[in-house]
Formats: sequence, C-alpha cells, structure tokens
Amino acid sequence: MPTDALTAEALGARLPPLLVAADRVASTVAQGVHGRRRVGQGDSFWQFRRFVSGDPLSRIDWRQSAKSGRRPPDGWFIRETEWEAAQTVCLWRDTSASMRWRSRQVSVDKRDRANLLLLSLASLLLRGGERVMMMQQDTRPIASRSGLDRLVADLQAANDEAGLPPDIPLPRHGSVVLFSDFLSPLEDIQTLIARFAAVPVTGYLMQILDPAETALPYQGRIRFRGTESDGEALIPRAESVRDAYAERLKAQQDGLARICSTAGFGFGVHRTDHAPELALLTLYQALAAK
Amino acid sequence: MIFVTPWVLTGLLALPVLWWLLRVTPPAPRSEIFPAIRFLLGLNATEETPSRTPWWLLALRVGAAGLIIVALARPVLDAGTALAGKGPVLLVMDNGWASAEDWARRKEAANALLDRAERAGRKAALLTTAEDASGAPIAITATMPVADLRARLAAMQPQPWASDRAGAADAMEHWSDNANAAVIYAPDGLTDGADFDRFATAMRATGPVTEICCDMPTSPLLLPPGSEADRLIVHLAMTPRATATEASVLAQSGDGRTLARAVVSIPAGASVASAPLPLPPELRNRLTRLVLEGPPSAGSVVLLDERWRRRPVGLLSGDLSTADTPFTGSIYFLKRALDPFTELREGTAATLLKRDISVLVLADRPLPAGEERDALEAWVRKGGLLIRFAGPRTAEAATNDTDTLLPVRLLAGDRQLGGAMSWSQPAGLAPFPTTSPFAGLSVSEEIKVTRQVLAEPSADLSGRTWAALEDGTPLVTESALGAGRVVLFHVTANADWSDLPLSGLFVDMLRRMVELSVGVANTQGTAMLAPAETLDGFGLLSPPPPAAIGLQADKFASTPVSPRHPPGLYGPESGRQVLNLGTSIASPEAAPPITGATLETVRGSARERALGPPLLALAIVLLCADMLISLALRGLLRPRIAATAAVMLLLAIPGAHALDASPNPATDTRLGYIVSGDSRVDDIAKAGLEGLSEYVNARTAATLYEPDAVQPGQTDLSLYPLLYWPITADAPEPTASQVAALNDYTSHGGIILIDTRDSGSGAGFAPGTEDALKRIARGLMVPPLAPLTSEHVLSHAFYLLSDFPGRFTGDTVWVQRDQDRTNDSVSPVIIGGNDWAAAWAMTPDGNNPYAVIPGGQHQRILAYRFGVNMVMYALTGNYKGDQVHVPAILQRLGQ
Repeated sequence: MPTDALTAEALGARLPPLLVAADRVASTVAQGVHGRRRVGQGDSFWQFRRFVSGDPLSRIDWRQSAKSGRRPPDGWFIRETEWEAAQTVCLWRDTSASMRWRSRQVSVDKRDRANLLLLSLASLLLRGGERVMMMQQDTRPIASRSGLDRLVADLQAANDEAGLPPDIPLPRHGSVVLFSDFLSPLEDIQTLIARFAAVPVTGYLMQILDPAETALPYQGRIRFRGTESDGEALIPRAESVRDAYAERLKAQQDGLARICSTAGFGFGVHRTDHAPELALLTLYQALAAK
Repeated sequence: MIFVTPWVLTGLLALPVLWWLLRVTPPAPRSEIFPAIRFLLGLNATEETPSRTPWWLLALRVGAAGLIIVALARPVLDAGTALAGKGPVLLVMDNGWASAEDWARRKEAANALLDRAERAGRKAALLTTAEDASGAPIAITATMPVADLRARLAAMQPQPWASDRAGAADAMEHWSDNANAAVIYAPDGLTDGADFDRFATAMRATGPVTEICCDMPTSPLLLPPGSEADRLIVHLAMTPRATATEASVLAQSGDGRTLARAVVSIPAGASVASAPLPLPPELRNRLTRLVLEGPPSAGSVVLLDERWRRRPVGLLSGDLSTADTPFTGSIYFLKRALDPFTELREGTAATLLKRDISVLVLADRPLPAGEERDALEAWVRKGGLLIRFAGPRTAEAATNDTDTLLPVRLLAGDRQLGGAMSWSQPAGLAPFPTTSPFAGLSVSEEIKVTRQVLAEPSADLSGRTWAALEDGTPLVTESALGAGRVVLFHVTANADWSDLPLSGLFVDMLRRMVELSVGVANTQGTAMLAPAETLDGFGLLSPPPPAAIGLQADKFASTPVSPRHPPGLYGPESGRQVLNLGTSIASPEAAPPITGATLETVRGSARERALGPPLLALAIVLLCADMLISLALRGLLRPRIAATAAVMLLLAIPGAHALDASPNPATDTRLGYIVSGDSRVDDIAKAGLEGLSEYVNARTAATLYEPDAVQPGQTDLSLYPLLYWPITADAPEPTASQVAALNDYTSHGGIILIDTRDSGSGAGFAPGTEDALKRIARGLMVPPLAPLTSEHVLSHAFYLLSDFPGRFTGDTVWVQRDQDRTNDSVSPVIIGGNDWAAAWAMTPDGNNPYAVIPGGQHQRILAYRFGVNMVMYALTGNYKGDQVHVPAILQRLGQ
C-alpha cells in the first residue's frame, strides 16, 4: 500500500508543471498565429454588410437599416455573426514500451514529450472553442478548459501497450491527431489510415523520435535489445551499419508520408531534442489551415 | 635473490597458453536497449569487428599473472647462506655494558640471521650472557618458534654490567635441547674475564657457530677521574686499536648542561689514555657526571659524587678570642678567601676532626705534643691536607723545638726585612717554580714580605719549596706525611708580616691548595646505603631494578657492579655515593673470534626482504587497472564511477596530511615572530609562540592559531596583534623600509616584544645582543621607557603578576612610560632579556626542551602567565587599566 500511495503521490506531483508547461506553450503559439476570424454560424456579432438579393429577409437588421437613412433595398444591412462551429478533435498518443525510452543524450523520453504535445494541443484547441476527445474506450469529449484536468488524469492512467489506436467510433468529419514513433510495419499503419478515411475523418500523424533513433550514434560491438520483446541484434560494429539503418528509417518515413498524403492526412517528424514549440506550431498550422 | 618454493615458477610455462586464450576470446559486447530494433534486425556488418583484445591489455593481464606466479614462488632478496644443522638454533647474545653502543645494529643482525632459521622452519632459543636485572642466574630460554623469540629479542636491553662468561658456559653445557643445533653468536667484542675460552669451547660443543662479526672496535670504558688541583684527569681504558683516535669527554651538570669538554687522544695500540679536564672550582662543584661522547652506554658514563666535589675546610686559630677581628684577626682574611668555594667550619680541633674534613688551616697555632697533635697527625696520615700559617707563637714554639708537625725545621725566631732599624728592603716574591701547584699564577710586584720565619737549610729544602722570596728564602714549604700533606706558609694569615693576604694571589693560592686536597664522601663506615637511582645499559639514570640491594658505605671501592649492585647513586639525598662501572671492572680485553665460526659482518647481514607481498600487491594493482580499462572499453565506465574509483584509489594511498596553516592570516588571530636569520633562534621563537598559543587557548577565551614568521617590509604586519622579536648579536640593522613598516605597525596599535635573551640569571648566554639592540632600535620610534612594575596594566591583564620571568629571571622589563597617553597608554614595545620563547617552547609531545634558570616549575608557570598577560594586553589594550585605578576611584568616591 505505501508503495502505491507514494507512486500516486509522485504522479500527482507531476500534474501542475505539466499543465503549466502546456499552457505556456499554447500561449506562445496563440500570439504568433491569428485565430480564425471569419463569418460563420455563431452568436457573436461579426459585421454588417449590404443586403444583396437572395439574402433571407429574416437576417436583415432593421434597426441598422433604419439608421442608415437610405432607401430600400440599398439601405438594408445584413447582420453577420462569427463562425462558431466547434470541431471535435480526437487525440491519441502511443504509450507502448518503445515510447517509454530515451537515449543518454536527452533528458526526456518520447512518451513524456507526446504527453506534453498532446496536452498543449488540447489546451490550444479548448481555448479556441473546439472539443477534444481522447481516443480510447469509454471517453467523452471535453469542451472546456476545466476538462483539462480530466485529460491529464486520463493521460496518467492510460497505459496501453498496443502500438496503434483502438478501434472506437469517431465523429464524422472530425479530425484525429496521432502521436507515436510509428515504428510498426507500414502495412499496419496503412490499415489504420484506411479505417480513418472510411469514417471519414482527416488528421495528422506526428512521429516522435529520439535523436539516437535518427542518428544511431553507437560505436563498437553492441548487443541491441528491443523494448517490446521483439528480439535482439548483435551488431559487431555499430558504426558500420549506420548508413543502412538511416536508409531503412528513411524508407519508413517516406512510406508514412506517402500513406498520409494519399488519405489527406498531414505527417510530421519531431525529435525529442528539439523544442516542443516547433512541433506545436507545425500542428497548429496544419490544423488551422483546413 | 632466492626462491623459497621455486617449483611454483613452472607456472610461468602456462603464460603463453594464457596469452593465446585471452587473444581468441572477443570482448563481451555492450548491451543497449533500442526501440528501433526492427530496422537493425538482419543488418549484416559490412566489416568484421576487431574482436581481439588490444595487445597492451593482453600484456597487462599476462604480466599480472606472471607477477602472481613469481610472488607465490616467494622470492627473498639479500638471503644469506643457510645455517648449519637441522635442529634448534641457539642465539647467544652478549648484552653486557659494551654491547650498548651499537645495540640496534646487533639486534638487527641477529634478526637477519633468525630470518634464515625461520625460513628453514627451525625453532630457536635465546641465551643472554649478562645477568638480567632480576639477578636470576643465566639460563637458556625454552626452544620456541622464531616469531616468539623475536618478541623477546625486541624487549631485550643491554645491561650496565659485564657479561658473565662462566655462567653462560654453564648454561650451554647444561642445555639438553641441543640435538643437531646451530649457534648464532652476537659478541660485544670483550672477553669479560678469564672464562672466555671456556665459554667459546662450550659454544663450539653446542653446534656450528655463526658469529656476527663487528667491524668496529668497542668504544672505550670511561674510568673514574683523578682529582688534581685545578683539574680532573679523565682516564679511559680501551682495547688496543690499530690507529690513533680521539675521544671527547663531556663534563655535565645535574641539569644536563655540558660545562667542559676534554679531548683524549688515544695512541695506536694503547689500552689506557688520559687527559686533563681543567675546571674552575665553582663549576667543578656542579659536576654530576662525565660522559664519553658517542653512542650511549653504561660504560661511557661516570657519575661523580661528593668525593670529587665538596672540600670542607676547617679553620683553627691560635688566639680564639681575637681570631675574627676585622683586618687584624688571624683568620679574618682566610675566611673571606675560602668562603666562596669551600664549606668552612670552625671550632676546636677535636670538634673539627669528628667530622670528615679535607683541609685544615691553622693560623699561627702552635702544636705542642699532646692529644691534639696526635689526632691531627693521624688525620694527615689518612690523607688530610694541613695548612699552617706562621706567626709569633709558631716562631716561639719552633724555638723550643716542640712542634714537629711542620714540613721543615724552623730556625728559632723570625726574620725581619725592612723597617726603621734595618738596611734591607721588604722582599717581593719570586716566580713560582714549575713543580709547585702555584705554577702559572702571576706574581704581583706589590706583594712585599716584611717578616717571616726561616726554614733550617737542608738538602731537600728547595724540593719542598712551593714559593720563595726573591732572595730564595722559602715562603711556602710542604712535606708529605702518610697519604696526606703538611703545608707551611712562613708568614701570618693577616697583614702583619706581609701584603700577601691582601692580594688576590692569596685567594688563588688557597684555591689551588684546596683543590689539591682529597675530597670526602659524606658518609663513611659501615652504614648501608640503599640504591636511589641506577644507570641502565644505555647510561641513563632510572629507578633501581628489583634485584638491587643496599651497599655498605666503605665497600664502594671494592664492589664490582652486578644486578645486586648496579652502577648508580646510592644513599640518602643529602649524601649520595656513587658506584661506577669503571671502578671495579678489569680493563677491557678484546675477545678473539670463535675458532671455526662462520663470520657474518653486521653490515653484510642486512635483513632479508621477502619480495612476495609487494609483488602480489603490484599484481592486484595491475588487475584493478585491467578491470577499469575493460570497463572503459565496454563503455561501462561512467564518469561518476571513474571519479569514485579514483577517489578510492587516492584514499587507499596512505599519506600524512598535516593540517596546514591557513594561508590567509586575516581569518585567524595568530602571533608572529620577526625572523632573525639564525635558524636556531627562529626555531625557538616558533616553538615558544606555539607553546604560548596552546597555553592561551587552554586557559583563556582567546583562540590563537599557528604562529607565523614575519619579515617586516614584506609581510603585512597589521594582521598580528603581537610580534616577538628575538635579538641576535649579529642582527643586521633593519633597512629603511623595514623600519618604516615597524614604526607604522607600532603607531597603529601593534606591540613588539623585544627579547635580548641575555640578562638576569642568563647573563652571558647571548653576548652582544645589548649592542645589537642599540644598533637595531636606532631607527625605531621607541617611546620613553620605564621599568615594568606590578602597577602596570601588563601585570593585571589576566593574571596578577609581580615578576616577569622567562627562561631567565631577574631582569628589568621595560615598557612605555605610563604618563604617555598616546595610543591609549598601551606600550608599543616591551623590551626585556629573559628569553621568554625558550621558556614557552614546547615539543610536539608536550615537553619543554629548555630548562628554566635557576629553575623550577613555578618559574615556567610564571613565564607562561606573563605570556598570557601579554597576549591579553595586545588583544584588549588598557581594558584592565581601570582596575589599576580602583583605589583612586574609591578614594574619589569617598570624597
């Protein structure tokens, strides 16, 4: 019991910095990119415009039209509201063992970085009025920032060893954002994306890699062991296989990019030794551009 | 170098196999966890990894293995030839007085030979040829393992008496454990009596002998000195040696100071040598021992007792009633001349002779036949010195020819020179003849003799004359009588007949004669004297051993030293009598080498050294290095692990890390001394300030740190509250910058304690420092000075003091005059000559290396207290000055 209590306490202790960090990152992005300012459905006033034929009469603002002092229909003004339609964005990050790993060069493992990015993105989306949903069983969309705490609890609780998101019903025309290292075979990912495209949803795949996974900086005689009981490889001279490894990694990434572009998904790569703001900015722009 | 177990070396043959094995085994791979393992699976290495261990690592490992093999073969360096025989080894160790001089080397050599016995797994027994202090008869110890015997050998000490050859021979003849035995003999080089041949035979009979041959002759034996007028004659006895050498004999006082030194030249082949040791009587009375310079041993120390020192002199005058009348009394001048260097006694002849007395002076007292004369004559025959002065009564008695206790027959009446009715002039003194004890004394022309008694001319008169007038008339005559001597001054002991008693020559002549006399021991007869302090084998006084018993007072000259009667001081404190080794011992005779013995020189038989343990240690170090290198090659050597290993290695290296003094004196309060340039003086100053700092730390709330040496002009003086400045005679005048630094220091509240180290009871110890002080202080701003009194704050600052001694006492200490109100009445300089640092000096083990003079723990405590007061004065200024004014304040309040 004490161990569990201590673990819980240690988990709880990590919450506020994570939230704060996520907020900070989100603020930085909000200043750099403008929000979506355009006409649409909503309650807030956006602008007046002249009546053109074909506009429904019910949308004429008679008070504004009277103040204009012109003859109808030239003096008629339509009151337009800002677009306020909320989008549901499904988020998912890989929690398998391969994500809970970091090399000696960096201080943060891939899952922590994925959590951070996910929370930051969620925070951004919630501030923008979007709805956010964790892609896991028995979950409900979150619509307000107060739900961020629940999201954090979900993040800490969920520890799925599967390398791919679960098959749950998704809202149509929604968006999905997936954070993973995407090291599983391309066929599996192809299947996944095909499933998403059939809903239909679009989205973005963010591949999070450790710098050691991109550069293979090892030297000498090394026995490599996988994280998920996927065998081991004795490499007599690690430096000699660096190029071959890089080719294979590039092939994987090219394959991913191809799959994504075919299905209308975005694809990006983030290294844990880079600043998380870069990845967040990429995501923001990719999502906002739609 | 030999190997104890050489067959282990065959293991070296396995080294090439080891090399091959190590070569073909690739190093273990590092293990890394890597998520993207899928991309690595099936990747073939394009080139073969060098799976070989680097050659230098191989060499390191093979070297370590080789070292282990060689170490297990137990190599021994400097091993000697094996001892003969297979049975027990008997170590015969001479530990008589002659063995003390190179005792450590003897033990080392014996240990080296025992190493061989131990290596051969033999047991050993020990025989010491001198009786031990318990007085038990000489016996061979039980046969025991060598390791046990070493402990006994280490505890063994040389004895202050001679070896007992006969006893040792008996012990060997009765030794039952001698099957197949071997003998190691460590001789002291002397026969020690006639039984040496028997001893040698017994030793040869026990087994083959290995003799540790000493390459230097035994040092001489110091014999009790002979006593002459103004000197001691030092005698040495030694075994004849091939070349002429020299030896030095030191005359030491009770506090260990050397008062005189005599160099004895020893001609080649001589067995005795002697040399004079001139000493003024004042110093001679303070002698307690003669020491032969060189290695300490019981044979190089002669203790001196009252026989060499005290000269009681009896005074007897003819006319008792007027004898002491100033300027005219018959013994008035005698008393004043003799008093400084003798113990004077007065009384009747019977009273005086009841006690022992060296010299008896009769001033114009005729000795008619009778009881008194018989008693005096008997006393002279036993060795007394009778000095008679002539006078009217003696002249008259000589006329009657009734006084026979005279060196020469006297002519009736006396002779008058000069005067109103005479043509002749008063006669002066002729130079003293060389045979006279007065030889060398200068004769003053002012001394005139106006009257004298005349000796009857005889053939041997000139031989008996010690002093004569210019015309050849004898003035002082002498004759031997038995063991003693009778001396006659042909003039009176007052100024009636001559100027002689008025001159300094009179004192010198008396002194010479008193020195001529035989000293007396305080106690004689059959009283038993208990041993008080005895010499050990190294010539140091220590409590008597348990077996020591008392000795009858009249048997000291005839008793040989032994465990029952060790050499040393006997009797009560008031009358010590000494028993010396040299008194009774036969003159040393060199012992011949044992026939048929194997000779091992002391120098040649260095301890054999086992190389195994250091080689094993080296192998372990190599293996540790190998482990670290392997870890590094596999990438497992993190910086933290490496740092930890390095720290552990460093900690494993034992090193004396002295707590060094902080380089920044500003952080701690500390005293300073000005470097004088004389390293001895500086050492004393440093030790003194260290001792004082410890005392201050123990007694007061002040915390002083290690004192510093300071150089005015170079060191920042402002950090030191108090500077100690010992003055040497050759101290150079300080340069302008030094003077400026010192003046700046004193004008800003610093205090300098200047010590000339030469006044009071230590006058003359550092001649010339007064002048040096004048020279040095010329540029200093020394304020008007006044003597330090008990009114001064310095005497109240911590302890209440009225006296300010250091090593010496009695000197006036000078401080700034009290009226001076500058600098808050704190004196910038304190000048004295009591050598305080020497009194404060303390060795690291807490002893005071310099005796205080005149001495006593009280003086040292006072010296420390003065130091504490000074430190307090320097730290608190005139804070305690108010107490000085308490009476005045009270008085004012009363008004």
